[in-house]
Amino acid sequence: MSSLQYLLAEIQNLKPIPAVAHQLLEIVDNPGSSMEDLANVIQYDPVMTANVLRTCNSVYFGLKHPAECIKDAVNMLGTDQVIELVLLKSGAASFSGSQEGYGLEEGEMWRYSVSSAVIAKQMAVKLGLANKNTIFTASLVKDIGKIILEKYVARSRHKILALVEKENLSFREAEKKVLGIDHAELGAMIAKTWKFSPKMVKIIRHHHLADETMIKDKEVAIVYLADCICMMIGIGVGSDGLAYRFRDMTLRELGLNADDMALMIAEYGANMQEIENLLNIV
Amino acid sequence: MKQIVGVADMKVSNNPAESVITYSLGSCIGLVVYDPAVRVGGMLHYMLPESSIDREKAVARPFMFADTGIPILFKSAYQLGAVKSRIRIYVAGGAEILDQKGFFNIGKRNYMALKKMFFKNNVIIHKQDVGGNTNRTVRLEIGTGDIYVKTSGAGEVKI
Repeated sequence: MSSLQYLLAEIQNLKPIPAVAHQLLEIVDNPGSSMEDLANVIQYDPVMTANVLRTCNSVYFGLKHPAECIKDAVNMLGTDQVIELVLLKSGAASFSGSQEGYGLEEGEMWRYSVSSAVIAKQMAVKLGLANKNTIFTASLVKDIGKIILEKYVARSRHKILALVEKENLSFREAEKKVLGIDHAELGAMIAKTWKFSPKMVKIIRHHHLADETMIKDKEVAIVYLADCICMMIGIGVGSDGLAYRFRDMTLRELGLNADDMALMIAEYGANMQEIENLLNIV
Repeated sequence: MKQIVGVADMKVSNNPAESVITYSLGSCIGLVVYDPAVRVGGMLHYMLPESSIDREKAVARPFMFADTGIPILFKSAYQLGAVKSRIRIYVAGGAEILDQKGFFNIGKRNYMALKKMFFKNNVIIHKQDVGGNTNRTVRLEIGTGDIYVKTSGAGEVKI
């Protein structure tokens, strides 16, 4: 079997993101859907329901009366908070381990995924994009390819890093050259296997803007930029370092400038505690 | 004991048993000051060059910016007995993403902001490990003044 075939076999063994996340995404970014639709989707998954209720009733939220069903939770915490909890809980199992191939210790990848998702969602809200929850989720799971690829990266790390240093390739480009596939491409294949929407597959596939024409796609651009901001702040940066390509055109396409980028960094700095809290409750 | 300097944070110490550490700098700068005569050291981890971008945040979190954080780091070290003429300075971080040019290059701007302030105030950097695309973690031992840098995926190296 070639390494690529091994990789494909591994996709089948990966524990998929719970189905409730997909169903939720189908309705949440649809302006016609109601709170009831939302509650119905979550209730269909008893494990997720119990999980969400346990978190809602944790000390963190300080509810006066415990939420006994998802409808209670939505009423007390608001739709957005409940959606976010379900999506976070859906991703937690896949991302919380260590990825030694990328030099990431336990929890680092998860902190990075959550941080970039929060930043991307804020950006989507600021820019008035309707599908903020899709953007949040895409950002949360965009590096799913790393979960499988890390073992292969570990074995070829010296070769990959040599290409980055000597031939000025980005880490992703070097990954592709040495392994025949990069983590964004592999991530898109996983997303397809998991029956993610074509939009989500596209965002994952292009989150490093390997194809520059994708800059025009606002959802891709936001997820890409949130990733760059995380790198600058030093979140989730492993042995790949900051060796990815920066495209300042992305900002221009979104109608933003360098000051806006700095402001987003400052915003993160001011709200770090909220992200820590989020990480603690999920 | 380990004193952890968070993002947009600062710590000073004169406890020789302590280590002051900041993790994962990215484009942020880790500024270390140390006076060997009194064994006083401190570390600042700032994210951005100028506070003018958001004055309100600078008031709430002065260590987020070079221009508001650096003076407080020095003053805090002076309060523990450090003297400007004896202070040794080490700078780490300020990494950049590939092709991150000009005003978009937060790492370089973070470093330039510090250089500008040091030039105005006659402060000399003794050692530094800045720029490039690597992510750094910095540790200072208060007892000895030894400084260690770790890049992700590699071991810790004494400077």
